[in-house]
Amino acid sequence: MSHPATAISSVKLAWALSWAAFWTGFPFKVIVALLLLAAQVHPWEGAGLIALLAVSVPIDIWALGLTARTFFLERMGIEVRGPVGVGLWWQGAALGAGMMGIAYYTVGAVAAVCQKAAAATFVAVKKIIPVPIAEQITIELLMWAVPATVAIIVFLLIWLKLFGWRIKRFAVASGQTSSASLQERVREWDNWRVPADSVLMLVSFTGVAVLLTVVFWVLLPVTTPHPHEDYPLPKLAAPKKPVKPEELLKKTETTLVKAEAVLESLEADKAKEKKKPAGKGK
Amino acid sequence: MKRKGKGVPLGSFLERVVAFVDERVGLKTLQAKMLNEPIPGGSRWAYVFGSCLLFIFIMQAVTGVLLMFYYIPSADHAYASTQFIIHEVDYGWFILSYHFWGSSAMVVMVFAHMSQVFLWGAYKTPREMIWLIGLGLFGIVMAFGFTGYLLPWDQRAYWATTVGVEIMDKTPIVGDFLARSLKGGPTPGQMTLSRFFVIHVMILPAALMGLAGLHLFLFRSAGPAGPFRGTPEELKAKTDFFFPRQVWKDIVAMATVFMTICALAFIEPVQLLEQATPDPGDYHPEPEWYFLFLFQMLRWKIFSGEFGQFVAATAIPGAFMLLLAALPFFDRSPERNIFKRPVALLSWTVVMLGILVLTVSAILNREFLD
Repeated sequence: MSHPATAISSVKLAWALSWAAFWTGFPFKVIVALLLLAAQVHPWEGAGLIALLAVSVPIDIWALGLTARTFFLERMGIEVRGPVGVGLWWQGAALGAGMMGIAYYTVGAVAAVCQKAAAATFVAVKKIIPVPIAEQITIELLMWAVPATVAIIVFLLIWLKLFGWRIKRFAVASGQTSSASLQERVREWDNWRVPADSVLMLVSFTGVAVLLTVVFWVLLPVTTPHPHEDYPLPKLAAPKKPVKPEELLKKTETTLVKAEAVLESLEADKAKEKKKPAGKGK
Repeated sequence: MKRKGKGVPLGSFLERVVAFVDERVGLKTLQAKMLNEPIPGGSRWAYVFGSCLLFIFIMQAVTGVLLMFYYIPSADHAYASTQFIIHEVDYGWFILSYHFWGSSAMVVMVFAHMSQVFLWGAYKTPREMIWLIGLGLFGIVMAFGFTGYLLPWDQRAYWATTVGVEIMDKTPIVGDFLARSLKGGPTPGQMTLSRFFVIHVMILPAALMGLAGLHLFLFRSAGPAGPFRGTPEELKAKTDFFFPRQVWKDIVAMATVFMTICALAFIEPVQLLEQATPDPGDYHPEPEWYFLFLFQMLRWKIFSGEFGQFVAATAIPGAFMLLLAALPFFDRSPERNIFKRPVALLSWTVVMLGILVLTVSAILNREFLD
């Protein structure tokens, strides 16, 4: 009797596991990325990228292990002893890294060649008939994007085929059927994944969500961290010293009193000068 | 029983409060109805889009109300008040950017939800009404995006609205009336802003709440369609309740959507261009990204001239919407498996690829013009 793992195609097997694992791990990675962004650390470069990768690797291992165990049990009726995630993850990652490297240059080359061919085609065509720019853009896009997309799909299929082949070998080497009925094993695994106390699960989830929200708001910049380069907010002139009417009145009154005193002394001096005898010295 | 204030445990007090409310409003019956909905074939990740849409709408309402505390819907102050929200109000930049990206997320989620329903064949008998109401909701979501885009009153907003209203103007008979009613004058101005604001914050939310309620009521009446594969016996054997598995999936999906919108708000926060003026200057007018495919189509030579513009702007989208509305009535086959409905699968693929290619073309065309 053939092993249940051999009945499924490698591509389908790898796709089922990697697609489910990606979405299982994605929310956790987004949490990390979001907290980094709130702390104004870019998760796509430098320390942010290193931090995100450092967190992503264990998340991916856990997610792949979880989805693989579920798939093996529910679709193939086999249980796998020992760590599943690590065993599969390093193989998928190694194959992915190699394939991505080759695909990066190949797809880039395909796109570049096709773009040049499209441009040359339009130069030749335009000598015969005029082609409006909007139509030219769409046709040129199709002329290079379709071959590039086909190349990406081919590389993806090759990666899935190779990864699926490794998963099958892993399942054949480590998987075993147990004496318990399939229904019982599925229920057991299901109960392990979904706690019987759903309320406790929801309360825990809410607690973690509240904690993360508090951390997020603490880290979040109060004012925009991205002021626009071309349209800066016009800086307002510094406000003038506020006018205090009572002080101003007092100051004015004091000035007037002083001015009055000066005026009086001047008038007194003038009066003294007038009182002096006019014929003195004659 | 111990009385409160004499050492009554909190749990017991809460139970009494719940019992009090339950006696008067039937809380437990409502809870049972909401959470014990049977899902044929069990919970699926494919069913999360509707819940996510509801979540995004609630978040749009919350952030929209917060923005309204500071926004002034007048041509003189709309731009300045938006600048004030971005630069001066505490966390204003984040709330506004979340609201901006939330509107795009809503459009993406509507497309995802409609695609799921179409591919699963869930519009077929007896769910025709749910599909029709869903199409109405789709129109409301697009109208939300269109009216909200004008409110910051910068060049992008002004010219996107001008282009959008011009497209609307191509509709025969009612086009001119619709365009003039929306603009309230020959060019967008204070009347346009007032009308768009009222439509955006009052008419559309009320319409959406009403239709969404009806949509949910009809959905609960007909029940979930379930997966398109499997015999009735198999689906019955796998039937599960809405709580806890589907609730858990919905929560994870909503959290993921929320975090993705937050991340986008950080990476590309809203930044205004210059204040709106009737002179575009160096700015090349174009509508929001989800209308770009239509805008690019209008640039084609084949659609030049009055008649061509009418065909591209009104006839083709109108015919497409009519086709979608009539879909459950002419597609009477009970077959729901998308892999056994090649015409449906091919049509969906062509439409999606067409929208994608035209949208990318419009972006490339913008770069060419710049």
